[in-house]
Amino acid sequence: MYKKLIFFLIWISLVHSIHAAQTIQVWFHSGKGEERKVLNEQVKRFNQMQQEIHVNLILLPEGSYNDQVNAAALAKDLPDLLDFDGPYIANYVWSGFLRPLDKLVNKEIIEDLLPSIINQGTYPGDGRLYSIGTFDSGLALWGNKQLLKKGGVRIPTSTKDAWNLKEFEEALAKLASTPGVKWPLDLKLNYGRGEWFTYGFSPILQSMGGDLIDRKRWVPSGTLNSKASIEAMGLLQKWVKQGWVVNAASGDNKFYGDKSVGLSWVGHWMWQAHKKGLGDDLVLIPMPRFGSKAVTGMGSWNWGITKKSKHPKLAAKFLEFLLQPEEVLRMANANGAVPARLTSIDQSSLYQKGGPLHLFIEQLKTIAVPRPFHPAYPILTSVYAEAVDHILAGGNVEIELNKAVRKIVEDIEDNDGYPPFGK
Amino acid sequence: MPSQQPASLRNIESRAAWGMLAPAMTLLIIFIVVPFFLAFLLSLTNERLIPRPIPTKWTGIRNYIRVLTDPDFWQALRNTFWFTFFIVPVQSSIGLGLALLINRQFKGNHIFRGIYFLPTVVPMVMVAIIWAGLLQAPEGVINGILRQISFDQIGPYDWLHHEWLAMPTIMLMSTWQGVGFQMIIYLAGLQNIPKELYEAARIDGANLWQLFWFITLPLLRNTHIVVLITTTILAFKLFTQVEVLTQGGPLGATNSLVRYIYVAGFQYQKVGLAAAASVIFFLIVLAIALCQHHLIQTDKD
Repeated sequence: MYKKLIFFLIWISLVHSIHAAQTIQVWFHSGKGEERKVLNEQVKRFNQMQQEIHVNLILLPEGSYNDQVNAAALAKDLPDLLDFDGPYIANYVWSGFLRPLDKLVNKEIIEDLLPSIINQGTYPGDGRLYSIGTFDSGLALWGNKQLLKKGGVRIPTSTKDAWNLKEFEEALAKLASTPGVKWPLDLKLNYGRGEWFTYGFSPILQSMGGDLIDRKRWVPSGTLNSKASIEAMGLLQKWVKQGWVVNAASGDNKFYGDKSVGLSWVGHWMWQAHKKGLGDDLVLIPMPRFGSKAVTGMGSWNWGITKKSKHPKLAAKFLEFLLQPEEVLRMANANGAVPARLTSIDQSSLYQKGGPLHLFIEQLKTIAVPRPFHPAYPILTSVYAEAVDHILAGGNVEIELNKAVRKIVEDIEDNDGYPPFGK
Repeated sequence: MPSQQPASLRNIESRAAWGMLAPAMTLLIIFIVVPFFLAFLLSLTNERLIPRPIPTKWTGIRNYIRVLTDPDFWQALRNTFWFTFFIVPVQSSIGLGLALLINRQFKGNHIFRGIYFLPTVVPMVMVAIIWAGLLQAPEGVINGILRQISFDQIGPYDWLHHEWLAMPTIMLMSTWQGVGFQMIIYLAGLQNIPKELYEAARIDGANLWQLFWFITLPLLRNTHIVVLITTTILAFKLFTQVEVLTQGGPLGATNSLVRYIYVAGFQYQKVGLAAAASVIFFLIVLAIALCQHHLIQTDKD
């Protein structure tokens, strides 16, 4: 009797192990609620539609995401597949976390990707593709049409008739004296010091002719603390000093909830909230030309497969599932991001020509500048965000930028110049 | 031979003593002594937090020079000292005051004890997040209360983003959160004081103030020492509330030494630099502990 039972149990476990799904660990940053919801649902559907792979999704807080990836790398505990903010790719590949995707992911999918996605996912060290995003980002100004009209402000509609610096500042001044406007501009300072400061405000540097780092010699001195950069950061400080900018402690909803703000300087991810709050009063305005050209940010969270993964092919299968045009579209519709696949863009009511967010595509194709692809990026963004934080609080612009330069120079020195970069 | 007896006994005793010391000593060596020396060695290299394709090199005292010439380090040091010099006396005296209040026998005194101790049991991260809500500007609860009681005359203040208000705000919320700890230690101390002393003093005609000044305070001497030393060390470890509420801002006004080390090690991934800063931090805390020890010793004599 017992013998039979034991045999039965062994048989069951054998059968089970043959048919058991291989589990792959997947990490995702818990950013916007809409994103989480869609991904959770995608994972659930993927796990149900096939028996081979079981995806175990783990959500990690966004603020300290990179720290957690580093800690896991140190503990040799990285998952099979993880997402990360685009510009970290150079650091992760240089450190040896990631494996190339060009042979793992179906060629047809790669050929259908938005050029900016390929650009963001390619490691300059060897020119191979290491990460793929299911969406790209868009950064522009969102306006409250009613308030802008009341203030007598011209509303540009394409990158060709974007405001220049003078017009932009005049618009802020006009809005400041418009009844119903408490603050002319929301810079999302409530996000706090972090990647937002680099993503959101380095386009001002680049627009004025400065940058975070010299992209040929890979040194920050003379670029991040150049005259153009100092002038650009001075502008940011001036707007705050004028009282034009929503302060950090005021919370997130002054533009779309209280409707007491004329312009909101933020990315695609606020689309749902803005549309819900403002309805037809919402208008998307191209990035201004502060200097000789307009510049916008690009790149968003990307997927990469780790070197330590024992099942890279299975991880790639899940990634391919996420990259199906309808899945890409599902995510993009939820978070308002630019769909990564050209096929999806054509199907997207938000992004196709005439759609309310088509401007993001136009900007990505013409004026987008990626954040620097250099292994020192984590420290670069960290010290730049700190400098921005201090500059917003009224610190001396030149001193703060020099401090940032010193820290980046020290880091590059500590890593022997990050070979093969800087040669 | 009777003279040999005690010697062998002593031998056995000391062997037993070493045997009993061994487990604790082993753990101390593994978890405190060895890491300290490792930190010292690392501070002389360009070690990075995570693996990298190039080897680690000796860099001599470069990290120390970098730390000591970094204005941010000195600012963090000043902030930490300021925080400690405020928090130690304030938190200790409020803790003592609360302990005195609830040390009396009345119905439900253990309920008050629980209430006062509650913030200390709640993790600092949660406390800090709750306070971030209370401190919102201009429409947070605290600004609202100030406006109400001052008939619109005071505020609103942006507590955490104001260069002069941020540190005092952190100090106040830290006191609120931590004071239960001092209270409990003092409460234990108070309950060790024999009641007869108070009764005798009462018969001699002492008033409440004299009871406190001549009996309670002197008899709490050992408790004072415990509270002083632990509070100083806890205050020096200021990190969580700063990281959650201000991230060291505005303009570095709330940056602390531990946060400086954390940023160097985790955000900048420079283990060497962080180790150098930690060694300096250790030397500072050691110096203060030795000073306190010295003061207490001379006080005893």
